[in-house]
Amino acid sequence: MIADAFVLARKDLLLEFRRREVVLGMIQYVVSTLVIVHFAILGADGSERAAAGMLWAAILFTAILSLNRCFAADQEEGALETLQLAPVDRAAIWLGKVLAQMAYLIAMELVALPAFWLFFFGDEGPAPLPVIAAVLLADLGLATVGVLVAALTQGARAGDVLLPVLFLPISIPLVIGAVTATLESFPDGDGTLRALGFLGLFDTLFALLAWGTFEHLTGE
Amino acid sequence: MTRIGGGAPWVVASGLLVPLAIALAAWWVPDDADQGYSQRIFYFHVPIALTTYAAFGYGAVCAAMYLRTRDERWDLRSYVGIHVGSIFGCLVLITGALWAKVSWGVWWDWSDRQLNVFLVLFLFYCAYFMLRFSLDEGERRFAYSAVYTLLGVGLIPLSILAVRVAESLLHPTVFTADGAAMTSEMFTTFLVALAGMLCLGAAMITLELRGKRLALRIREVRRRLEGTNL
Repeated sequence: MIADAFVLARKDLLLEFRRREVVLGMIQYVVSTLVIVHFAILGADGSERAAAGMLWAAILFTAILSLNRCFAADQEEGALETLQLAPVDRAAIWLGKVLAQMAYLIAMELVALPAFWLFFFGDEGPAPLPVIAAVLLADLGLATVGVLVAALTQGARAGDVLLPVLFLPISIPLVIGAVTATLESFPDGDGTLRALGFLGLFDTLFALLAWGTFEHLTGE
Repeated sequence: MTRIGGGAPWVVASGLLVPLAIALAAWWVPDDADQGYSQRIFYFHVPIALTTYAAFGYGAVCAAMYLRTRDERWDLRSYVGIHVGSIFGCLVLITGALWAKVSWGVWWDWSDRQLNVFLVLFLFYCAYFMLRFSLDEGERRFAYSAVYTLLGVGLIPLSILAVRVAESLLHPTVFTADGAAMTSEMFTTFLVALAGMLCLGAAMITLELRGKRLALRIREVRRRLEGTNL
């Protein structure tokens, strides 16, 4: 199943490498959002800690861009029906999509995080390593839940609108954990590990739920 | 043929227990030492919240049963459970906001753990209806709705944990590991109100199920009659 998932993820990444229709858009979107946040928060005498929280709003909303395209290519080319007929575990489709989404998010964050540090912090920001750990754990959670929700909304009426409506409430605990991890990474914080542990728990629980239920979402 | 179902015992029980709880809360229980008369909303706010969780739990169990059996009667039960849970959820937010205004002077407090957990769950279950009615009626709608409902099983403990991670202690903690921190009159009134609200929730679920089953049967009969005319 793992090998099948890697093959499917490779297919999505190759398609994205050739078309370049998701990741570049995500990078443009997240950097624009950070600039807007800079003027909206710091322009109104907001603290650097408020900006640290806003990083997660920017990442979350940017993730929706790629999730909206998660099954689009498969639907346009009829690949989803073919995949359902193929002798692969249905959970492999979910895992393949999660890996591809993780890759998109990490590619976006490779630009977003340095830009975030540049815009908001000098030498007095949070410790970088715990923030990077929180970003990776949150990416896994966003991809895990996001792919499941994208599968729920593909083919539904107004699916593009429905995806954020379903995805945002489920992501709230993840954002709370990620914001806490970031705030605790400032020099006076001491609860980083607890917040990172929570993010790991979120990833594990929803990965199990998604794995167990995804087979009900593909095909009648 | 689908059984229409009763529900009369639940209606009678809630018809007796809810007015009794109102009477006990209004005239029998002593004033709270800290919050005075306004604390009496506790006897409705907390039982309504617990009934909401019970209705959502019922919806999740029925959703799991649907995925296991593919019997659409479980889907209908799951939908009705979540529908009734959402109605009670609205009441929780309204009574909670009223209580917060009287006790803390604000309609909403973002630093409060239980309010925030409840808001997350309420938003989650409201989105359920958008998903359900965006899909055409049939097996796909039933299965997708069931999977979404089951995500709530993960979301409830995680929401509680998340707000604990970013913690605050404004909400009064009445039930602790040492038992309930209230007098016997208060506890009795609370139990009567809880039983009343649970019966009311069960009555609403059974009555709504009855209405939906009747509508399905009428549709089936109409389809048969139209087939005969052809």
